[in-house]
Amino acid sequence: MHRKNVWLDTTVTIMLVVAACIMLVPYLWMVLSSFKGNMDIMSGSSGFWPKHPSLDGYRTVLQDAPFGTWLLNSAVTSVIITAVTLFTSALAGYVFAKHQFRGKRIWFLLILGTMMIPFQVIMIPTYLITAKLGIVNNLSAIILPNLVSSYGVFLAKQFIEEIPNDLLEAARLDGAGELKLMVRIIAPLILPMLSALGIFTFMNAWNNYLWPLIVLNDTEKMTVPLALVYFNGTHIVNYNVVMSAAVLITIPVIIVFLIFQKQFVKGLTMTGMK
Amino acid sequence: MNEATVMSDNKRAGLQKKPVRFRNERRFVFAFLTPVLLLFGVFAFLPIAWGLILSLFQYNPMSDHGRFVGVANYVRMFTDEVVLKSLWVTFKFVFITVISNLVITLLIAMAIQRVRVRWLKDFFRSVFFLPTIAPLAGTAIVWSTMFSYQNGLFNMILEQFHIAPVQWLSDPHYALLSVIIMTLWADIGYNIVLFMAGLDSIPDMYYEAAILDGANRWHLFRHVTLPLLSRSTLFVTITTVISYFQAFPQFQIMTKGEPFNETRVLALEIYDQAFSNSNMGYASALATLFLVIILVVTLLQMKWSRTQWEY
Repeated sequence: MHRKNVWLDTTVTIMLVVAACIMLVPYLWMVLSSFKGNMDIMSGSSGFWPKHPSLDGYRTVLQDAPFGTWLLNSAVTSVIITAVTLFTSALAGYVFAKHQFRGKRIWFLLILGTMMIPFQVIMIPTYLITAKLGIVNNLSAIILPNLVSSYGVFLAKQFIEEIPNDLLEAARLDGAGELKLMVRIIAPLILPMLSALGIFTFMNAWNNYLWPLIVLNDTEKMTVPLALVYFNGTHIVNYNVVMSAAVLITIPVIIVFLIFQKQFVKGLTMTGMK
Repeated sequence: MNEATVMSDNKRAGLQKKPVRFRNERRFVFAFLTPVLLLFGVFAFLPIAWGLILSLFQYNPMSDHGRFVGVANYVRMFTDEVVLKSLWVTFKFVFITVISNLVITLLIAMAIQRVRVRWLKDFFRSVFFLPTIAPLAGTAIVWSTMFSYQNGLFNMILEQFHIAPVQWLSDPHYALLSVIIMTLWADIGYNIVLFMAGLDSIPDMYYEAAILDGANRWHLFRHVTLPLLSRSTLFVTITTVISYFQAFPQFQIMTKGEPFNETRVLALEIYDQAFSNSNMGYASALATLFLVIILVVTLLQMKWSRTQWEY
């Protein structure tokens, strides 16, 4: 029995190593392609390894494209969306968990119900609304519809309900206002949930493609995923340029992930968010 | 309207109890819930209702006035060959991709669970999870170049085995398969992590008891792991089905629905009708159909798994 286990464990590990290598191939491909020279690509059969390694791709991306603007657009919109979503979710969660008001159940059920609605169902009217508000092709069109999250409200309510009422009552007797209560007592207690929600909100905002595709047209206004695709359209012949852009955009994301991966995994298992 | 209800209700609550403190609470609820509900109203509730109404109109955003056409959009879509094809493609894509995803992720999760060395375990999990954090739009572009006929990686590999190159993204036989392979690569990390958490929650004593009863490896999997993992499996299945129904960037970037609409999923057809053809009324009818499909599929899954649990 024991020996059989060793054999099985070894086989399993080897198969995992093979699978892991396959998973990493696209990254290797991306990085190697970014170093290919135009000569390699023009000759038609460029091969896996760059024959004449060059930095032309990176040079073109950084010179011909408003790369910094794209990163800034993505960073600004994602940070604002994340910060505000955390605030509104925690607040609405607190109100729904610990306060009474008329229509509470119905409002909560309505908010929960929107969790089931795929974005494709609401994207057309949402576009028409942003058009009516006159913010099409403006970064606020990316931000405004994403400042609340039904999932966030739901999660926050679940976690805040666990906090004993006595604790809140004690703080109120000490003269703490509702907002102070929220910031000083509730927020620290639900911090793990908030950081999980924050990570996923930020990631979804940063990676979002469909909604920016609908409301943004100007190259200058684009967020990173959209810009990458636009760039792909204009540099389809010299794909080393596009791969260089992809590398410049992917590497920071990977570094951030490697730093925060514990929280990532914990957040995923805690919330099941996708 | 919502402000009024919030306020009147809290006023009443306030009058019954200690006034000063409850006035503060009431003011708090009113002041902070109103903007939140307003955002939900404008960007969630209103669009749903508007979408349903729009589906009864022939509406082009260029000409400001929509024409009421009743259920004509709904009648039209069931005779529209492209739509019928896209329904077929959508179901085919979701079915194949979900099943493959569940099998692969469960196998990998169980394999990683067997690894005893801590850092190796963490390493494997990170590697499989890595693709899920990269923007899908970027991933789709990288994969497009890997599927390229002339200098793509896949044809290079085929060449090594002296197999004729394949038009991965423009041959009707392979296009959908190519997108499925890319989607699996990009998305298995989530479910691996979720399954690993599910496996962790199964107490060792169940396995020990089964081994004492003479169970072999297959028995252990079939009679201990699978049943005790059913909650995780249900959750993972539902979220995966919903997210694959909505798969969009890979189709829009890699194939644009071509060749011969072999990769035209419903999500892409809705986008194209609305924003390329400016048929917003018709696209809204398609979106309503899409919503109904997702709701029905989800409810069926929940019902089906509940009956599974009962015996």
